[in-house]
Amino acid sequence: MEKITVDHLTFAYTDQPQLADISLAFPIGQFSLLIGPTGCGKSTLLKIMAGLYPKYGGKVALGTVDLAGLKQAMMFQDAGEQFTMATPREEIIFTLENLGLDKNSYEKRLAKAADFAQIQDLLDQKIVTMSGGEKQRVALAVLIAMDVDLFLLDEPFASVDPVARTFLVDRLAKLRDQGKTIILTDHLFNDYLGKVDQLYQFKNQQVTQVDSTTRDQILSALDDIQLAFPLPAEKNLHDPAFVLSDLTLNPGKLLLKQDQLAIPKGKVTLLTGQNGTGKTSLFKAMTKLMPYTGSLKWERQEVAKAKERQYFSHVAQIFQNATDQFMAITVKDELAISQKGQHNPYFTKDRLEAALGQLDLTDHLDQVVYSLSGGQKKKLQILLMLLSGHEVLLIDEPLSGLDHKSIDQVLALLKESQKAMGQTIIVISHQFYGLNNWCDYHLRLADQKLTYVTD
Amino acid sequence: MNPSLKFLLTLIISLELSFRVSLITNLIVCALALIFLLYKKIKSKDLGAMLFAAGLAAFTVFTSGYWFSDHPNLWYALDIASRVFVYTLTTACLTITTTAEEMARSLEQNLHLPSKFAYGTLAALNIIPKMAAAVKQIRVAGMMRGVYLSFWSPTLYFKAILVALSSADNLAQGMESHGYVEGAPRSTIVEVPLTSKDWLYFLAGVVLVNLCAFLLP
Repeated sequence: MEKITVDHLTFAYTDQPQLADISLAFPIGQFSLLIGPTGCGKSTLLKIMAGLYPKYGGKVALGTVDLAGLKQAMMFQDAGEQFTMATPREEIIFTLENLGLDKNSYEKRLAKAADFAQIQDLLDQKIVTMSGGEKQRVALAVLIAMDVDLFLLDEPFASVDPVARTFLVDRLAKLRDQGKTIILTDHLFNDYLGKVDQLYQFKNQQVTQVDSTTRDQILSALDDIQLAFPLPAEKNLHDPAFVLSDLTLNPGKLLLKQDQLAIPKGKVTLLTGQNGTGKTSLFKAMTKLMPYTGSLKWERQEVAKAKERQYFSHVAQIFQNATDQFMAITVKDELAISQKGQHNPYFTKDRLEAALGQLDLTDHLDQVVYSLSGGQKKKLQILLMLLSGHEVLLIDEPLSGLDHKSIDQVLALLKESQKAMGQTIIVISHQFYGLNNWCDYHLRLADQKLTYVTD
Repeated sequence: MNPSLKFLLTLIISLELSFRVSLITNLIVCALALIFLLYKKIKSKDLGAMLFAAGLAAFTVFTSGYWFSDHPNLWYALDIASRVFVYTLTTACLTITTTAEEMARSLEQNLHLPSKFAYGTLAALNIIPKMAAAVKQIRVAGMMRGVYLSFWSPTLYFKAILVALSSADNLAQGMESHGYVEGAPRSTIVEVPLTSKDWLYFLAGVVLVNLCAFLLP
């Protein structure tokens, strides 16, 4: 059988090689999953296969990649950065014009792509107004419209909700059955059992293919996390952190219409809901980045009327995109900013050093923050925001893009700090590994309403 | 009217009236443009803001041409001041009736400009709202870390430039990943028609402006 081969590939951005002497073979017409810790070079390998590196960065020191003549297309980790045009329909037109297609085939492919990723309702919506998960579905649809032989997908489901995720993995398996080759990276393994053919594991700059028994073991290991939460008791809602009354969020489409809700103080609340239901928008309202009607109060103070500087010294958000939070150049400078001024008393010098070690960041103190890997950025970002010592932390997808080891590290730190300081934390997440035994309550956003649930 | 011809007409009117002193022509063009904008139901807030900004610029031009000139000439000063309104209003007529996508397509299909230019400009336009949101978010993110970034803070612009640079780099990669190859032929799925009616309007516009500019004071 013909194969896609990676032959003794060594690739580096700086002096340190990111990939060292890697040799691999991906069978054509199969579904391959790449797993490994954050920063291990999975994205780099995909970008080399997509022909983007070394053109746009880094250097291939040695070795070759042979796609066996397959037409490829890649979906980036940050889907929002991949679009030239304003709407999905325009983007698909642009792409198909690039490929030299005529109007007839455009209509067929548009219908097929929209159906595949279930984006019929999003076709003419501006991409900038979409949620992270919606953008990922649109990015996938563009690849489907391109009808390539080889799909290179870099964490395509990181912000996609569980229902859509299961659906899309199923769809990808069907594509494979039609003869397409799929190479995909992910940190979450559920949904893949029985669907992927090959599993490759990155470890210490090396990649190994695992045999089918180990593959099934790994893929079934973390299936089905059972969630069980109590409903908040009356006494916890007596002096709440946030109170919503007749709150409406309507940025173009109605996202939230809430008559009464209190969010308890000093507790950790998990916030879930399908893509595009408005979870991030609620955070935007809470951080004065989105206007609302009705009332949203923090500590009996209307958020819209609160003085910015004063309010943000109490309430902070850990953004979905880690670099949004950085203010300086190197890791060391960033830490210095967070230690200045109001700072979390829990993090003494020793505790900070221990935390840096715990997050594997000690060796990166002089590195430019923008050159850290995706997972390292996320870990640093969370540490910085814990150092700042806010009473309220709104955390948007803290775990997306992190491997299990990093999730354990980050959650251990969050738990310690929250326990010591009694912060009010609201977490948006699509993945529950590790969160099920940390969060106190679970709020679900569905049909424009927030409700506390027990599962 | 075809977007490229609209663009050319705007350009010709603006250039021609920059070299030719004819206050009355300027006023006629402004009046026609204003009527067109009102007919197209421009938002009064947008129109007001635009006229206010243009008014400020026109006032500055007028003062330097009349009060602070060694040889003050009222007619000439009024002419150069009214030019500001000509530029603003004719450009508004173009932008209010053409989306950026239509413009890019038309430049590529009708004027045969390199696609790199057409789509590069378009992508840059699409980044503008993103940049505005980014600046707002950078300020909030700063406050959350105890760093207050005023509108003249170097950190704010450093961050904004970083966002722009990384967007530009990602955009180049994004375009390439969606099959774009510089200089390669592209097909046309959405056609921008260029009809004889378009040409007629265009030529009529050019002739009228010329007649006015050379006949009227």
